[in-house]
Amino acid sequence: MTGSSESEHAGRGATATSTPIIEARGIVKRFGGVVAVDDVSLAVAPGEIHGLVGENGAGKSTLMRVLAGVLAPNEGSVFVDGHQLDPGNTREALEAGVSLVHQELSLVPEMTVAENILLGSTPTRAGFINGRQQRRIAAEALEEIGVTVDLDEPISRLSVALRQFVEIARAVARKPQVLILDEPTATLTPAETEYLLDMLKRLASRGLAVAYISHRIPEIFAICDRVTVLRDGSLVASEAIGDLTPQSVVQHMVGRDLQLDLESRRQDPDIGDTVLSARGVRAPGVNDIDLDVRAGEIVGLGGLVGAGRTELVRAMIGADPRSGGDTLITLGGTTRRITSYRAAIAAGVAYIPEERRSDGLALTMTVVDNIALPNRSALSRAFVLQRRRIAEFATALATSVNLRPPEIEREVGQYSGGNQQKVVLAKWLGREPDVIVLDEPTRGVDVGAKVEIHRLIRELADGGAAVLVVSSDLPELLELSDTIHVVRDGRIVGVLSAAQADETAVMALASGQQEVDVA
Amino acid sequence: MTPETSEKARTRPPVAQVEEELGKKAFKLSEWMAQQGIFLFTAVLVLFAVVFIDGFASLPNLTDVFNRAAPIGIVAAGMTFVVISGNYLDLSVVAQVATAAVVLIAVTNAVGLLPAILFAIAIALVYGIVNGIAVGVFKANAVIVTLSTTFIGLGVLRWLTGGSIYFGDSDGPIRTFGTTRIGPLPLAMILFVVVTLLLSLVLTRTNFGFMVRAYGSNREATRLAGVNTPLVVIGAFTMSALGAMLGGFVLAAFSNTAVSSMSDGYDFRALAAIIVGGTSVFGGRGSVMRTLLGVVFVSVLTNIMVLSGLGFGFQQMAIGLLIVLAVSVDALARKTRVS
Repeated sequence: MTGSSESEHAGRGATATSTPIIEARGIVKRFGGVVAVDDVSLAVAPGEIHGLVGENGAGKSTLMRVLAGVLAPNEGSVFVDGHQLDPGNTREALEAGVSLVHQELSLVPEMTVAENILLGSTPTRAGFINGRQQRRIAAEALEEIGVTVDLDEPISRLSVALRQFVEIARAVARKPQVLILDEPTATLTPAETEYLLDMLKRLASRGLAVAYISHRIPEIFAICDRVTVLRDGSLVASEAIGDLTPQSVVQHMVGRDLQLDLESRRQDPDIGDTVLSARGVRAPGVNDIDLDVRAGEIVGLGGLVGAGRTELVRAMIGADPRSGGDTLITLGGTTRRITSYRAAIAAGVAYIPEERRSDGLALTMTVVDNIALPNRSALSRAFVLQRRRIAEFATALATSVNLRPPEIEREVGQYSGGNQQKVVLAKWLGREPDVIVLDEPTRGVDVGAKVEIHRLIRELADGGAAVLVVSSDLPELLELSDTIHVVRDGRIVGVLSAAQADETAVMALASGQQEVDVA
Repeated sequence: MTPETSEKARTRPPVAQVEEELGKKAFKLSEWMAQQGIFLFTAVLVLFAVVFIDGFASLPNLTDVFNRAAPIGIVAAGMTFVVISGNYLDLSVVAQVATAAVVLIAVTNAVGLLPAILFAIAIALVYGIVNGIAVGVFKANAVIVTLSTTFIGLGVLRWLTGGSIYFGDSDGPIRTFGTTRIGPLPLAMILFVVVTLLLSLVLTRTNFGFMVRAYGSNREATRLAGVNTPLVVIGAFTMSALGAMLGGFVLAAFSNTAVSSMSDGYDFRALAAIIVGGTSVFGGRGSVMRTLLGVVFVSVLTNIMVLSGLGFGFQQMAIGLLIVLAVSVDALARKTRVS
């Protein structure tokens, strides 16, 4: 892969062609100890469509939320038309003409299209809702974006795509000078996407400044005038679209200086027969997926957030209902169809969910209670829990995952993220699972704990378990996996062996950049 | 792999180093009140009563207070399972207590004691299963479901009894149970203590009780641990139903009579004891022993008011105030825990 323009001069601060309408200077945003946005400056001129790209967690959404006044930055300021905005004042940003179309839809399902478009700025007369004016403004906004939809239809009866357009109409109804969109095409079909892109070009041609976040490289090249690339919170490139190629953008996103610790990769893993097998699995966001994981193998699922990986693994093991297809688990020569989540657990599956705090742990309970939960039957006799055995069992597991401090009577909620994740692992390790499904196993975990969790995952595979890992952390995915399946739009779009896989190959598949090459 | 070679190590400072400092959590008054307050308040209240209230610190008064607390105490001990499971409360105890009382006396009169008990157990199981299926399987709101089953249950009871009062045999076993004492201690009070201890063991020591607590702490994590969660909810409501049934038996035995209106207010009074004891309405936190303590607190407070000549209206107002205070402290404690 060769980039035609790889100039690294990309400085702090973009140089717009004309006077910028919105400008961010030296924005720094920290969450606790994590720097989400690190000294980034950005400017967008009227009529410009400014693309913002970067890996998951690069800081794109955070930066845009600072621009829209949703978040107050720790350092730096935002200027609209030369006036400095009060940091974190959403109302002032709105009044200054900055409208953010949220990544998660923020519509009220039970209310009508017109009511939603005017939500938060409902026109009133003498305290009563002025329905006529509400409908008129809503109709104008919809006409401006060129979408026809019944104003009195409740949102809950609209398709996901139409809801997305209503969301945009809501931003446009405020007569903004700057429109910020955060991955608006994530849920749209290609035709709908094309319509939306045309609409944005039309709006920009009337002088609106557009900031556009997308994972999808082809979209960026279809509409953007300038592209800013963020990586790990820092600005790595900000250039006119003519100076970039799809390949160079991907390389900026993943970073050429990335040093993978490939030595820690497993050497010549002892891989056996297929244990976990998905056949035509379908579910919301999952389109007819086949996938095999063999004994002793670590299969990584790569892709962008929202690609359908979590939905896939949850549907596979029955944690969420499947709409079609089968999951088979073959152990000791017998194959079982997995018809429910509890059947999967009984067949030897361990599932470490993405949302540790809401789905993985009972935070108000102790370490020992959490570890005992999936093992309670083995640790009770005639329905009575064997407390001493449970304590010994939990102590041994807490030690094996290196919980620090190893105080099993402490509430899990008091531990750090890394230690909490170790408790999640410990509770499943006790069952000696044959199939382990891990979703973002090291998200929000400190570096030391991350190394230890990786070691545990490798040990499980070395012990003959079939391991399936979802990870949005590219280095992690590359270091752990023996095979990487890349998921996009609910489909597996590529399978890479450890030898073939590198960050550009994965990212190219995940972002659909390879389709540009084909076209 | 050493941290130095990982890219994330260079670009993202370890968040958790700060968190690693465990046990240095700031003292939160609301959390202390929610967790430990009941012990101090009960001690202060009892001390106050002993010193200032004439006639409180006498054996006859104390045994009478706790004997009369037995029905509500047993109902509350059972309902504690529902509260800890995170399903707020079981309002249908009102109908269940009255039904059990009427069945005990009417069926004993007609057929005999054993058939009456078996019939009451069957009714309790129906309540537990119906409430449990609606809430645990269909995920309906527990408050509305049990409010409705109260309506259904009381409706059936009034329809079948016509609101009439049933009197037990004046020297039958029910009468005997209601008046027997072992030494100075009434039998009902002993039953109350035994049931509480038994239910406490079920909640803390059995696989079932453990799953109830885990489910109340985090439903999704418990489901994902492979627990049959609908069954846990059905079990919790069944414990509540069995408690309500026993409470109804004791209540009937006290007066040797039964009528469909005899358990009015039992839902709220049981909840009062549970919440004042420090069991969280958000689920996951609490115990049957705490409910016992809550019963003691509310009973002593009521007794003080009675001995001070404060009427029923005043007592009702005071208990209401107490609950608002207790749930607010509970919510405040939870808020500080979460943030």
